[in-house]
Amino acid sequence: MGEIGGLAISLAFVVSLYGVAAPLLGQALKRPELARSGSAAVYANFLLLTIASAALLQALLARDFGNAYVASYSSRDLGFWYTLAAFWAGQAGSLLFWALLLTGFAALVVWRQSLYRELMPYVVATLMGTSAFFTMLLAFVSSPFTRVPFTPPDGSGLNPLLQNPGMFFHPPTQYLGYVGFTIPFAFAIAALATRRLDDEWIRATRRWTLMAWFFLTWGIIFGMQWAYVELGWGGYWAWDPVENASLMPWLTATAFLHSVMIQEKRGMLKVWNLVLIILTFALSIFGTFLTRSGVLSSVHSFALSSMGPLFFGFILLSLAAGFILLFVRLPALRSAPELDSLVSRESSFLFNNLILVGAAFSVFLGTIFPMLSEAVRGVKISVGPPFFNQVNVPIGLALLLLMGLCPLLAWRKASARNLTRNFLLPAGITVVAAGLMTASGPVHPIALVAFTLSIFTAASILQDFHRGVMVRRSHGETYPLAAARLVARNHRRYGGYVVHIGMILLFAGMAGSAFSAEREAVLKKGQSVALKQYTLRYEGPSQYSTRSAQVTAATLTVFNSSKPVAVLSPQRNFHKTHPDQPMTEVAIRSTMMEDLYIILAGLGEDGTANFRVIINPLMMWMWLGSAVLTLGTVIAFWPERGEALRNRSRYLVEGA
Amino acid sequence: MRRKLLLAVAVFVLTGGYLAYSGARSSFAYYMTVSELHNRVATVRDADIRLGGKVAATDLRWDQVAGRLQFIVAEGTHTIPVRYRGVVPDTFKPGAEVVVEGRYDGTTFAADRLFAKCPSKFEARTEEQ
Repeated sequence: MGEIGGLAISLAFVVSLYGVAAPLLGQALKRPELARSGSAAVYANFLLLTIASAALLQALLARDFGNAYVASYSSRDLGFWYTLAAFWAGQAGSLLFWALLLTGFAALVVWRQSLYRELMPYVVATLMGTSAFFTMLLAFVSSPFTRVPFTPPDGSGLNPLLQNPGMFFHPPTQYLGYVGFTIPFAFAIAALATRRLDDEWIRATRRWTLMAWFFLTWGIIFGMQWAYVELGWGGYWAWDPVENASLMPWLTATAFLHSVMIQEKRGMLKVWNLVLIILTFALSIFGTFLTRSGVLSSVHSFALSSMGPLFFGFILLSLAAGFILLFVRLPALRSAPELDSLVSRESSFLFNNLILVGAAFSVFLGTIFPMLSEAVRGVKISVGPPFFNQVNVPIGLALLLLMGLCPLLAWRKASARNLTRNFLLPAGITVVAAGLMTASGPVHPIALVAFTLSIFTAASILQDFHRGVMVRRSHGETYPLAAARLVARNHRRYGGYVVHIGMILLFAGMAGSAFSAEREAVLKKGQSVALKQYTLRYEGPSQYSTRSAQVTAATLTVFNSSKPVAVLSPQRNFHKTHPDQPMTEVAIRSTMMEDLYIILAGLGEDGTANFRVIINPLMMWMWLGSAVLTLGTVIAFWPERGEALRNRSRYLVEGA
Repeated sequence: MRRKLLLAVAVFVLTGGYLAYSGARSSFAYYMTVSELHNRVATVRDADIRLGGKVAATDLRWDQVAGRLQFIVAEGTHTIPVRYRGVVPDTFKPGAEVVVEGRYDGTTFAADRLFAKCPSKFEARTEEQ
């Protein structure tokens, strides 16, 4: 099976090269049948990588420890599901996973979107170029089918930290997000190559972009959730280079999602949109690379990975291809109308873009700062979380405000009437709420601003929605029916509103961390510790054995102002395959108001335990916000009746 | 209109730049390996340092109950003793790559944060053939 897998990968590389060459040559030589054969290459590529993936899964499930990858990431006692997940646990496997997703998406594009005839040769060439890069890595640098000279009796197993449900959610969603941005990028390149520079490429890829954004968002959220429950330091975001790498394309993609609306409605920002999608693609590749190399997480950069130069080469190549094409086409991209007023929908979108890209830039700068300072001053200097927070907290607050303003400002120029009509009531509510908050006790200023803005934004969105429903109701529909029909009439707009409500909840949850409290306690059996309204009584340690681990638990009874509310058992476990690595399992009690988060930091011979107790307010709001955001994306994604027909007829008329 | 827009953008960029600059100043830390720190002891006495290296197999003492950890971080033959108090990450063990944040007085590194390399970021070295 391993031979088949290796062969399939080599063939996929060759087929990818053909998929680049055939459409381009076909265009140049005016031989359409040659150009069209590129589509066949896409299907063949998908098939070959499916075979390679099946071969790897088979090797994993068959416990073929003669395969170096299988031996490094699985073991005999690893359960069925985690054995499957070992597919993307290592570098070679996750590169194969990336390539598989890419060719799968490419096949979907060729199958469903062949309508875009003129664009298709260049779309195929771009997608296959990307595939050529990844299959080249798989074939020559990091193969998942390398054999070891002597087959070990057992593998070294999957690291216990990865044996968490997060393993099924975080890596796949993250990758779906990263890979997804290849599609709009390919269409953008095709638009540039063919000079079809109106919003055709944007409409063609709206759903792809939304899907990629959605998965990237969930990749990040699942990553935060996983870090929160598993890494056991009480937080979910540490501005670690790998986290930053996932945030950067998210920021530019979010900017892109918004700025394309300006191009669709007003024909502005054509160049800007192309720049954003090129950057998003490059940052997605950069993110894949960082996750899989560890360049920045170690002081000994670059030396570690032979893939570094290749990845950088590919990123530079994509940037160069994108920007050179863009530069050549600049004359064809002008003629956008000017902005009419600073207070208008367009300009608020512009600021939203500026802010998002500014945030991405600051994160980029902070992430590569050690390399920069070494190049300039010969000494590595890193910047820590205070840098990222100081820049990004105000940025987050500004975004929160814009979410309330943007969708309700009039196009071109907002009149005073437009402003009072849409913002007077929300502003009034906000002032009252802010007053109540300050009156109720001392509040952290940033949190106060965040909550105030959340209320303002939520109020203005809800007011607008309510007005829309009332208009329909005046025609005799009941309120719920009117609401449902209103949403059905404009999925993009109201889906966007729901996403914004989700984001508000997320932001509020993040702002809640301003009120967190923490305490360390060394307790003997029977002793108690108090933090805010909670009292925790240590009942003693216990030890037992499960199928895969030796568990040591320390049990605590939790009292909420003297009323017992929960029994929690933070643990320190030892997995049988990794006896030298303890697994700290935190205990969390979540309520809508706050999480009580307990870490068993250490346990003495006599049963004395060292606990770290943390109160994280409003954590549930973040997870709730994520759910709302999902609902909103699904609404925005859902096709509207007649939309496909409209697009098709528009295409045929314009193409004629 | 163009002037007004440029002005607004300039205000935004300058504010962002100032925030970034002041944030960066307050969180600068030298990022060094053990040997680099040895060579620069004099210049970094009161500065924040992130020190990267490997946990040595010897002289590791961890008082779990008090939450006190002492170990030696090494790079080749260069070593620096480290003192740390707090939660010890699961991936910390002899041979693990760690980064500690704190200050160095020339004899002992007093760390207030300890990171061990997360396995998802990978044992790239063992994989690269």
